[in-house]
Amino acid sequence: MIEVKNVTKRYGDFFAVRNINFEIKEGEIVGFLGRNGAGKSTTMNMITGFIEPTSGQITVGGFDVDKKPKKVKRQIGYMPEGTPLYSDLTVKEFVNYMADLKMISGKEKKAAVEKAIKSTGLESVQNNLTKILSRGYKQRVSMAGAIVGDPKILILDEPTVGLDPKQVIEIRELIKSFGKNHTVILSSHILSEVSQICEKVIIIDKGEIVAVDTPENLEKLSEKDQVITVVVEETNEKQLSSIKDEIEAIKEVAFVEKKEDGSKEYNIVTQNGEDIRKQISTTCAKSNIIILEMKQQETSLEDAFVKLIENRPEYSQKEIKKMQYQKEIQDLREEHEAKKEQKQAKKEEKAAKKAKKEGGNE
Amino acid sequence: MFAVMKKELKSYLLSPIGYVFIGIFLLLFSVFFYISIFSYQSMNFEYLFYNGATILTFVAPVLTMGMFAAERKSGTEQLILTSPRSLTAIVLGKMLAAGIILVVTEALTLIYFAILDYFGDPSFKVAITTLLGFLLLSFAYLSFGMFASSITESQIVAYFITTGVFLLMWFLPDMASSLEMFSLISMFNKFPEGLISVSEIITYVSFSVLFILLTIIVLQRRKSVK
Repeated sequence: MIEVKNVTKRYGDFFAVRNINFEIKEGEIVGFLGRNGAGKSTTMNMITGFIEPTSGQITVGGFDVDKKPKKVKRQIGYMPEGTPLYSDLTVKEFVNYMADLKMISGKEKKAAVEKAIKSTGLESVQNNLTKILSRGYKQRVSMAGAIVGDPKILILDEPTVGLDPKQVIEIRELIKSFGKNHTVILSSHILSEVSQICEKVIIIDKGEIVAVDTPENLEKLSEKDQVITVVVEETNEKQLSSIKDEIEAIKEVAFVEKKEDGSKEYNIVTQNGEDIRKQISTTCAKSNIIILEMKQQETSLEDAFVKLIENRPEYSQKEIKKMQYQKEIQDLREEHEAKKEQKQAKKEEKAAKKAKKEGGNE
Repeated sequence: MFAVMKKELKSYLLSPIGYVFIGIFLLLFSVFFYISIFSYQSMNFEYLFYNGATILTFVAPVLTMGMFAAERKSGTEQLILTSPRSLTAIVLGKMLAAGIILVVTEALTLIYFAILDYFGDPSFKVAITTLLGFLLLSFAYLSFGMFASSITESQIVAYFITTGVFLLMWFLPDMASSLEMFSLISMFNKFPEGLISVSEIITYVSFSVLFILLTIIVLQRRKSVK
C-alpha cells in the first residue's frame, strides 16, 4: 500500500530523515515510535505530499507522491500534529469543508459527513464552534475531518498528545475501530500506546529507522537478558553468589542493596531468557538461604526501545556528510560503469553487424 | 475552486473582516461624498473614486492579509495542502471570495449614484467605466495582497508589505514622470474620464495574473524548503 524507498529529507546540513526504507501493507495498523524530533512528522508529511523529500521515492497505492499527487491525496485522510482547525466554523461546517476539499460529490457528502460525525461521537456538539471545544473534542473533530469520505489510509500525527487519561482511552478505542477497515499509520512517543494499538512498529531515531517489527518481537529483543530480583535473609554474602555454580543458566549474581531489616537484595541475570525461579528457590532451600521476596522483572517495549536507541553510534554532522558524499560518489560510479557497459555492448553489436554485412557482401 | 471560495466567503462574514471591510470602506467613502458635495459643491460621481483608490490602498490589504498567513500560522495550511485540490483551485478560490466582497462593496456605492441622480444628472456611462476601472484596480491590489500573505506567516507583516508597496506606487509619479507607467493608481485616472483604455486594462489584468501565478509558485516551492 505504502512504499518508502531511500527517502532523505535534508535542511542544509541537517538531516531530518536519512535514507529510510519501509513498506506498509493494506489493513495494517502501524505505529511510528521515536523521541521528539526523531523525524516522525517529517516522514508522515512526506507521505501526505505536504513536503517533498530531498531524494528518494514514495508510492501510495501504486502512485508516486511526486508525480500523481492528486491520486495519492485522494486515498489519504490526514490528521496533522496539533490538530489545526478553523476556529470560526462549527464542527459540522468543518467536516463539511473537509469533505468538499476531498471532492466528495453533493449526494454522498451529506451521508459521509454524518457518518464521520457519528463515528467520532460528535453528534452532541456538531453545531458548536470548534474554538470553544475541549482538547479531546478538538482531537475528535480533527479525526472526523480525516476519516470523512472513508479514505483507504489514515495518517494520524500524535493523536493522543495533551489529552487526559480518559480521553486517551477513548481516542485509542476510536483508532482501533478505524483499524478494522483502514490502513492506519500513527505516530507517538508513548510506547505503551503503540504496543496496545499497533500490529507493527517502526522505531525511528535521529532520522533513521532503527527497527521494524511487531511489538511482541520487539519486546522479545530485550528478553534475552532476563533479570530476577531476589531478596534474601542471609548473613554470609558468599552464600547466594554460590548458587551461580549450581544453576547453569545464571550469568551473574549482582548485589543491589542491604535493606533496613538486614535482608539483602540481589539481581540475578540469566543467560537465555529461561524462567529459573523454580530452580532458584529449590537451590536456595538446599543451601538454607531464606527467600523473602522473588520477582521476575518484566521486560517491555520500553526496554527494547531504550536498548535499540542506546546502542546506536552517534555520528557528528561532519561524518554524516562524509557518508552522504561517499554514497553519492558510489552512485555516480555505478552509473558511470553502467553507461560504460552499455557503450561497450553497443560497440560489440555494431561490430557484429558490420562483420555480418561484410560476410554477406563476400 | 468553489468549495474553497464558499468557505472563505463564509469566513469573511463570520469573522467580521468582511463586514469591517465593507463598513469602513463605505463609511470613508461617505465622508468623501459629503465633503465633495458640501465643501466643493461637486455633483460628480466618478471623481469620488480617486478618493476610493486612496481608501482601497489602506483597506484592501485587510481582506488579503490572512489568506495564507493565517492558515500557515494556525497549521490549517496542512489541511488544504494535503487535500486533493490543486494549488490553482485553492488560490483562485480565495481570490474569488475576496473579489466577491469587493464587487458587493462597489455595487453598494451605486447608492451614491442614485442620490446624485435624484438631484442632478450624472452620466451613467462614465459611472460604469469608472466602476470597471476601479474593479480592475481592486483585483490587482487583491492579487498582490494575496502574494504578500503567501510569503509570511504574520498577518501584520503581510498587511504592511501590501500597503507599503501600494503607497510607493502612489508616489512614483511624483518622483519621476517616467515612473508613472509603473503606478497602478495613475493608470486608473483615465477611467473616470470615461475612457476605456486597452493598454491599462491589459496592464491591470496581467499584473493580477502575474501575482496569482507567483502565489502558486511560492506555495509550490515551499514544499521543498519547508
